[in-house]
Amino acid sequence: MTTEYTTRMGDGQRILMTREQILADLKEGMADAADLGEIPDLSEDELDKLVDIIAMPARMVGVEPGKEVPVTHDIGTIRIDGDQGNSGVGIPSSRLVGVMMHERAFGADTMELGHIDYSYKPVKPVISNEQQTMEVCQQNTIIPLLYGAMPNLGLYYTPDGPFQNPGDLMKAFKIDEARASIEGAAKHATRDITWIMKKMMSSGTDGINFDTVGAAGDGDMYASLHAIEALRKEFPHIYIEAGMAGELTLGLHGDLQYDGKVLAGMWPHQQAPVVAKAGANIFGPVVNTNTSRSAAWNLGRAVTFVKAAVKASSIPCHVNMGMGVGGIPMFETPTIDAVSRASKAMVEVAGVDGI
Amino acid sequence: MSKEETFKELADAVISCKKEAVDAAVEKARSEGIEPAEIIEKGLAAGMNEVGILFERGKLFLPHVMLAAGAMESGVSILEADMPTDAASKKLGVIVNGTVEGDVHDIGKSIVSTMLQSAGFEVHDIGRDVPLQDFIDKIKETNADMVGLSALMTTTLPGQKEVIEMLKEQGLRDKVKVMVGGAPATENWANKIGADCYAENASEAVTKAKELLV
Ligand code: B12
Repeated sequence: MTTEYTTRMGDGQRILMTREQILADLKEGMADAADLGEIPDLSEDELDKLVDIIAMPARMVGVEPGKEVPVTHDIGTIRIDGDQGNSGVGIPSSRLVGVMMHERAFGADTMELGHIDYSYKPVKPVISNEQQTMEVCQQNTIIPLLYGAMPNLGLYYTPDGPFQNPGDLMKAFKIDEARASIEGAAKHATRDITWIMKKMMSSGTDGINFDTVGAAGDGDMYASLHAIEALRKEFPHIYIEAGMAGELTLGLHGDLQYDGKVLAGMWPHQQAPVVAKAGANIFGPVVNTNTSRSAAWNLGRAVTFVKAAVKASSIPCHVNMGMGVGGIPMFETPTIDAVSRASKAMVEVAGVDGI
Repeated sequence: MSKEETFKELADAVISCKKEAVDAAVEKARSEGIEPAEIIEKGLAAGMNEVGILFERGKLFLPHVMLAAGAMESGVSILEADMPTDAASKKLGVIVNGTVEGDVHDIGKSIVSTMLQSAGFEVHDIGRDVPLQDFIDKIKETNADMVGLSALMTTTLPGQKEVIEMLKEQGLRDKVKVMVGGAPATENWANKIGADCYAENASEAVTKAKELLV
């Protein structure tokens, strides 16, 4: 009888697969990425290695000695006392305690301070609170502590902001108006993020994390790139991390460019160079998980995309690994077997510099 | 320039999403003496199909598709002048044509209207996203012989079936032929819902309408 290995579906369901089935799914996922991104396939050796990783007998796996990479946490400060809604575990504590636990107990290499809304715009009215918390956290820790949130262009559209919702305008066939709205929102977001970070830098912040860049499409990415550029100019030594929201930059505007390149339709290997050009230190590629495919299919696809991004990037790549991204099943608390396998694959096959 | 090259130029103009490019390509094709129907089906519509594929692959986005759609409409309107209907001659029949409720896709439907009209039918194009009752009202008002129902999405396809039910309820079904179309519609679907015919494209729509009405 052929040996079957326990693995997962993209929704976390436990399934059994033979080595042949695992390889077939890896290849199919790889082919999907190679086709969409017009990027190279993985080599036979790399595919074999991925089969080995998925079929490893241990429930939890790790990288080979000497291949360890830095691990950083977004939103981690509220992951301890947050509820399931923000992937927290609901233990009453403060953000300071959250940072300290990650540094001293969990071995995080860098951390991020963020606030409960986790978008830049709503930081403005509570900026003093954020500055004070940052100062206290800095006094109690030694790891690099960034300030982070989502650029979230959506908050600049009605009813939350001053610009008309481009989705509504588009539905009314008002393309030019929709585009103008996106451009206006992007300007405001760039201005807000830059202002917030000037304040946070004056309170000893080590850097900034742009989390979920492009969540509201190409305008969101455009705003982030311009904010990165402005911050790099203002603070030559600031540490800037830019992590994406999804694998493909959606074109809500369609024509926005940075460095002469159209942002809409960019895949991770095309995003990396523009993020570097804007002045970021770290690029965080994202590959989305398909819940109705196996972990093998998703991993083959994610590793293919991320490997190409690492190759194209002039700055280190810290891949986004969490629920529903990076070949990890979409599940509130992703299972350790899938998380550790996908992470090992990203480090040893895709060649990422961090997670 | 060969005809094939001209068709490619027309298609590329639609893919470029630029109205000026489409208008220029249409004018050029016209001057080469190509039939309007061919310019539309083999050139512009082929380009629009490619736009759909590029959209699905994340190479083009919604604003592009809308611009391409606008550019194509502009090109078709230039050609409408070349497809005069002989107002004096007896009409082949009266047709109400529209895109069903919930669906704003109207490029294909409008082409069908134009071609039917130029073939000699009296066409009442009632637009897109049309409340189903409006089809019935217009059929009564114009004493139509046929109704054309366009749907471009799987989600709006059932609207075609509903109109047929409504025609039955109001005792009109025997008087009016029903023709359905749009990318998700098929011959099978037409049979299933009891339509009189299905047409894959505008020229087929003309042929089928003639078969049923003339
Ligand atoms: C252009 C387009 C648009 C334009 C439409 C502009 C306009 N004025 O029509 C815009 C950008 C507005 C648009 C919007 C949307 N679209 Co759209 N769109 C398309 C696209 C790319 C091309 C359609 C087209 O014009 N083709 C060219 C014409 C010439 O061909 P045709 O319409 O098929 O018509 C021919 C035949 O079908 C036939 N025919 C047509 N009607 C009739 C009627 C009769 C009686 C007969 C006999 C024959 C017939 O003859 C015609 C000529 O040969 C298609 C993809 C595709 N490849 O089909 C998606 C597509 C139809 N859209 C889709 C979607 C999802 C949407 C949106 C919901 C997108 C969104 N997220 O907002 C909205 C819809 C909103 C709504 N409520 O309707 C989906 C539908 C999926 C599904 N469930 O079936 C498609 C398939 C794309 C996709 N894969 O996602 N879209």
